[in-house]
Amino acid sequence: MNTTTVTPPAVAPVPPAAAARTLLLRVLKIASRIAFPVVSILGLWYLAIAFSGLPEFVIPRPTQVLAVLTQETSFVTQHLMVTLRAAAIGFVLANLVGIGLAVLFTSLPMFNRLLMPAAITIRNVPYVALASVLVLAVGDGLWTKVMIVTIAGFFPVLVNTMRGLAAVDTVVLDRMRILDVSPWKVFLKVRLPYSVPYILAAQEITGSGSIIVAVAAEWMISSEGLGYVINRAMAQYRGDQVYAVALLAAVLSYAIYMLVQVIGARINWSERSRNGGK
Amino acid sequence: MSADIQLRNVSRRFGATVALDSVDLDIAAGQFIALVGPSGCGKTTLLRMVADLDQPTGGSVLIGGLPPATVRRQRKLGLVSQRPAVLPWKRAIEDVEFTQKVTGRAGLPARGLLRDFGLAGHEEKMPHHLSGGMLQRVNFASAIAHDPEVLLMDEPFSALDEMKREELGLWLGTELATRPKTVLFVTHHVDEAVLLADRVIVFSPAPGRILADIHVPSPRPRTAAFRTDPQFVEITNRIRGLLFGQWRAAA
Repeated sequence: MNTTTVTPPAVAPVPPAAAARTLLLRVLKIASRIAFPVVSILGLWYLAIAFSGLPEFVIPRPTQVLAVLTQETSFVTQHLMVTLRAAAIGFVLANLVGIGLAVLFTSLPMFNRLLMPAAITIRNVPYVALASVLVLAVGDGLWTKVMIVTIAGFFPVLVNTMRGLAAVDTVVLDRMRILDVSPWKVFLKVRLPYSVPYILAAQEITGSGSIIVAVAAEWMISSEGLGYVINRAMAQYRGDQVYAVALLAAVLSYAIYMLVQVIGARINWSERSRNGGK
Repeated sequence: MSADIQLRNVSRRFGATVALDSVDLDIAAGQFIALVGPSGCGKTTLLRMVADLDQPTGGSVLIGGLPPATVRRQRKLGLVSQRPAVLPWKRAIEDVEFTQKVTGRAGLPARGLLRDFGLAGHEEKMPHHLSGGMLQRVNFASAIAHDPEVLLMDEPFSALDEMKREELGLWLGTELATRPKTVLFVTHHVDEAVLLADRVIVFSPAPGRILADIHVPSPRPRTAAFRTDPQFVEITNRIRGLLFGQWRAAA
């Protein structure tokens, strides 16, 4: 009888066992999110080795690939830095060119008619042809690769920024005119913030693409960088090196994609409004 | 502070279409003018020409004896748009302060203004966290934060439900009593026009002409009780007669 009259505390604390269980569940959830793709990729990999009958230099075992990354670290890192430098400079230039042209085309539509066809043409030229010409004009160094990355990446930025600059609500533009805000201030304080979500969306393409394009450019023309490593490794029947570099490039692209997402969520006002403005 | 508005023989054509045909209108400083009429009668066009957002193809518009462009550059105009013209990345208080920063006219303290508009405690909220009625009140606050002499409103309550509409209308009436301005108010709503305005200008269907200029003698601000006043009933019936008569004639 007595036990039934004992009143529980007003605010019942979560029993420690239950708290531990929810924590465990969350850890398991995160672990499974990482483990599932790893397991499935490794599984498919081993299946391919077992059933394709291809030689080891065409399809090496995952352990061999990991061994390259752990044992030839300085060699890989050296070429990785070369690729990263070309990709990073190209990425920044792609944004400068893309946003710059978008501003020019939007503020002076004459330039849109004059230069947009050229931008579309350059964008649609196969990179192989571009690389062949650029290597003769600029050489096989850093700047050829930077130019290829820039040319491959500026177009999404250009198109999206233009769309963003034009996305301003007309009632907001009326308000700016009534308040006699100068065109420069309207650009800086209204049009540019309005285009932030659009510019960020372009980074998902241009950002991760810049690594892949830099590697491809190196594969074609360069004597250093991850792309060059693939080329040289293939000539030496070092499939494990090719796979290691490919894995590295993929992880890097993915990391950049995630970075864009994380930074984007912080500065993207439309994202913030969707997620509750925190 | 407020200015008078003078329209002389104002016309506006869009290609072959005549939106507004020889409109003459004199508005005294501090008067509240409602413009009513069927869709496409040019009442918004008229408002936009006073706002220097559009130019007449004939005739002249003067505000306090000056062209609208000059008055606009003096930042003496305020515009309340149909949809809120707030910046989606600014908090309520920041949006009001934006008006003051860009105009360099710190007219009214932003926080006090929001409080007067019934938004105390909501100053730090983002636009998407505000209800439609609250957002339109932020829009109002931002539109008058630089203390304009002329307030131009283009169906400011049309996106709101009937209850909010009436509440905000009465609230606007009392707000203007403390901060007198010359007001042009475009609406489809006959009751709202009569409840708020000193004069209701009734437009004909396109091409827009002034059918009638009806004075509402009862002093402002009026309360909801005015709706049952014989004067209110008589005037709204007269306006409805004008509007429906025209529609019937046009049909």
